[in-house]
Amino acid sequence: MDHQSASSEVTFEHHISDAEFKQRVKKTTILLSVITVIELGIGLLLYAWPGASYLVVLMFKGAVCILTLAKAYYIVSVFMHLGDEIRNMIMTIVVPLLLFIWFIAAFIIDGNSYKNLRNTYDLHFKETTTPVHGHHGSPHQEEPAATPEPGKQ
Amino acid sequence: MSEALHIHPESTVVGHHDDHNGHGHHHQSFVSKYVFSMDHKTIGKQFLITGIVWAVIGGLFSVLFRLQLGFPGQEFPILETFFGERAAGGLIKPEFYYSLVTMHGTVLVFFVLTAGLSGTFANFLIPLQIGARDMASPFLNMLSYWFFFLASVIMLSSLFVQTGPASGGWTMYPPLSALGQAGDGSKIGTDLWLISMALFIVSSLLGGLNYISTILNMRTKGMSMTRLPLPIWALFFTAVLGVLSFPVLLSGAILLLFDRNLGTSFFLSDIVINGEVLPNEGGSAILYQHLFWFLGHPEVYIILLPAMGMVSEIMSVNSRKPIFGYMAMLGSMFAIAILAFLVWAHHMFVTGLNPFLGSVFVLLTLLIAVPSAIKVFNWLTTLWRGNIRFTVGMLFAIGFVSLFISGGLTGIFLGNSTIDIHLHDTMFVVAHFHIVMGVASMFGMFAGIYHWFPKMYGRYMNATLGYIHFWVTIIGAYLIFWPMHYQGLAGIPRRYLDKSGWHSFNQFGDLDKMITVVTIVVFAVQLMFIFNFFYSIFKGRKVTSSNPWGATTLEWTTPINPGHGNWPGEIPEVHRWPYDYGKDGREYIPQTEPVGSNESKH
Amino acid sequence: MSTPATVHQTKWWSGGKSPFNLEYGKLMMWYFLMSDAFTFGAFLISYGTIRFSQNFWPDPNVVFSAFPGAGHTQLPLAFVSVMTFILIISSVTMVMAVHAGHKGDKKGVIKWLVWTIIGGLAFLGCQAWEWHHMITGAYPTLIDGKIELIGQTMAANPWGEVATAADVTKALSNSSVETLAALAHQTGATESHSQLLGMSAEELIAKINTAELHVREKGPVAFGGYFFGITGFHGFHVFSGVIINIVMLIMTQKNVFQNRGHYLMIEKAGLYWHFVDLVWVFVFLCFYLI
Repeated sequence: MDHQSASSEVTFEHHISDAEFKQRVKKTTILLSVITVIELGIGLLLYAWPGASYLVVLMFKGAVCILTLAKAYYIVSVFMHLGDEIRNMIMTIVVPLLLFIWFIAAFIIDGNSYKNLRNTYDLHFKETTTPVHGHHGSPHQEEPAATPEPGKQ
Repeated sequence: MSEALHIHPESTVVGHHDDHNGHGHHHQSFVSKYVFSMDHKTIGKQFLITGIVWAVIGGLFSVLFRLQLGFPGQEFPILETFFGERAAGGLIKPEFYYSLVTMHGTVLVFFVLTAGLSGTFANFLIPLQIGARDMASPFLNMLSYWFFFLASVIMLSSLFVQTGPASGGWTMYPPLSALGQAGDGSKIGTDLWLISMALFIVSSLLGGLNYISTILNMRTKGMSMTRLPLPIWALFFTAVLGVLSFPVLLSGAILLLFDRNLGTSFFLSDIVINGEVLPNEGGSAILYQHLFWFLGHPEVYIILLPAMGMVSEIMSVNSRKPIFGYMAMLGSMFAIAILAFLVWAHHMFVTGLNPFLGSVFVLLTLLIAVPSAIKVFNWLTTLWRGNIRFTVGMLFAIGFVSLFISGGLTGIFLGNSTIDIHLHDTMFVVAHFHIVMGVASMFGMFAGIYHWFPKMYGRYMNATLGYIHFWVTIIGAYLIFWPMHYQGLAGIPRRYLDKSGWHSFNQFGDLDKMITVVTIVVFAVQLMFIFNFFYSIFKGRKVTSSNPWGATTLEWTTPINPGHGNWPGEIPEVHRWPYDYGKDGREYIPQTEPVGSNESKH
Repeated sequence: MSTPATVHQTKWWSGGKSPFNLEYGKLMMWYFLMSDAFTFGAFLISYGTIRFSQNFWPDPNVVFSAFPGAGHTQLPLAFVSVMTFILIISSVTMVMAVHAGHKGDKKGVIKWLVWTIIGGLAFLGCQAWEWHHMITGAYPTLIDGKIELIGQTMAANPWGEVATAADVTKALSNSSVETLAALAHQTGATESHSQLLGMSAEELIAKINTAELHVREKGPVAFGGYFFGITGFHGFHVFSGVIINIVMLIMTQKNVFQNRGHYLMIEKAGLYWHFVDLVWVFVFLCFYLI
């Protein structure tokens, strides 16, 4: 690789051999595909298993979220080459993303609280929107939904 | 595309440095030098002058609605002359009043104190103080201004549409802002407001990305991060706040536009308006408030941080003393920047926000008092036993600290959700945020203008007019806003057109008259400042030394009127931190001077 | 990857160079993407907030079960899987284009960019089909005591819970002849459409095979707004990514990068394209999986 440095800001260039590169891309592509297939499998499993308890559903959905984060990690780290940058650079990208934790938590908690408030004080809302036949609205499901369950809908 | 336009610091020096000294510019046309200029200094001045125009408009609006508040029912025929139908019979119509309040907030917060303040000084100071020829991407920098200009044109045009500009408050809460039936201001005016804000966000994003990458990548040799002058740090955090929070407002604005024009129900539910039942259901108006304040709160610090940074610098220069606690200043700014993102829902304690969640927001909000107090103590100790020169800029910097303390203390009241239930949406809130964020930031901006005017235009501003400006403004600001605290504690709501219907509020009639009169006086003095500003550009006393304030930072090593590229020869190298004042018997030591072998440590 | 020893010896922060060993353009692109992540984040979090404030939310397996050419066969998530794979593969081809650019291999850049553009266009085509299918769909929905055939739009949602048999029987007698004819047709009546329209309501109701009939109540309206809003905003990003890639292709063709000595613009375009893929991963999660 014989190209010159593009800019005086850059101190050194990354170098990687063709074979190693192809190997890495291939591995990542396969990984991403496999994870996607597993995610779909979980989605279909929950579809085919309408009687699954609230906790089991939550667990599987949590697993899907973690798998998605893994996918995001591979895309950013390998495809976007963030993994090859120097450590401080990685940190400036990763650390601000931590804001999402409170961003998501506060919004969702307040959304959930809004639902509970309306179920308590707005009977019309409660009666017209609470599912009678089941959470998925699927015809097979018979279990009654007495209390609103966050996270599952 | 921007690649080709980028001036590489080193190649410039080696290859074609002749193009970049002050004399290399005789080929430039008027348009490329003053209009579509890519020189960061010109762009900064463009932001400043556009900001001044907006400040006059936004300030005038406040005078108009103060007339209504101070003299309800009194006819001012001149209003009808200028505003026709909207002030028929010389009385401000309710819809017009709400437009005035809304546009005053929008204009001052976004167009004056965001674009006019951080846009001006980020552009002007960053390359000069870090030792760069220009921004990382001068082209995107130019685009940033022109997006702002476009946003300005659209916002301005909304003042002239038949149904009037947006009138849902500067926060644009739905459903009021989402439904055209809700009032004239919620018709086309609100669409224009949202489009203008979207363009404004693009502008601030282009600017912010540029500021961040310039500060990171373009520092001259030896200018490590801990040798950066404090304004640069402040502008850096400001840019980070903007880059991470403005997009959230963009999302909110897009969803609101959809609700208005495409029949979606993001923020709308269960609404009956003028007897008509709307089909929207399932949306949440509180969601909009969350989205708005996720930007809205960092926005407060976007406004305030540049002022803080400039005040630190001006204070150190004019006290002839090193800034007290440089690292503590950095740390507290960093803490403020982080906390700014975590506290947004303290604007929403009375929306029906989950009280438990609210208590977490109370805790995080009150934590901001810690870094704020650190900063205040550092400013005071910088002044302590200093060799103070009371220049106009210095006075405004001291005024900033005074206002920041007064306004910050009432923030502690409002940050407590229980007290906020009583004080929410009263004049107390108006007093609080005007002092701590509005007037304080204006003071930071004035301080910056008076201090860096010699660098901008090679002339001084008239000091006598400056002193009058300062004293009238600070006394006026306290006279206007201090009484509002009492009004608020007594329960007077903000944004109300006329409160004469309440007997309990009648005792405040004379107070309101006084506030209005002072407002007019203060506004007039600002016009005098603007006269001073423009007069001094052309007729001010000329600067004779390249370092008129005896400051250490790099901008004073450039020629009096630097050309595009800032330094005629090589960019100077930096050897020390920017606050070596009164050291080893010397009044000041520039950053460019190598550390001597027998020099004492600071 | 071999890390040069310079990493440990360089004083990264002392000025005169990039502390991250990146030229400013790439840095700006990274931080722009970060900012864009907050735009998308805000959309998706808003969606989550509304979803958590509802007692009922449609099951994605029910909503997204159509496949081009498969008629009424229920194939949950099949089509969106195809879309996801298209985007992942186009990301891979973009990686190859960037790598070719790194080597200064103009032919390689052109080849892989073309593949990436094709992938992007294929994705947009899939999305157009999906939207079209949902908007023009005719889903039997229980509205105000009668059955109506509606599509998934910004203002209406046919994916509520399944209506009870009693409600459906009652609603059938209130429904219009056109709706009944369509329902009879949907549930397997062999007569032609005009023949069905000629029948009376009672005859039609008798023709409708209630075992095949899946009538649902109205679902949360917000679903459509968020679905079209967010996938639309993502689609807009894909579209602009395709445009950027086409511009890159033309510039490569015209030797702009060759003359410049580096293909850094391709790397920046690549970052943007991967980001589009990254966002899709989360859109896929939020709308289709959970």
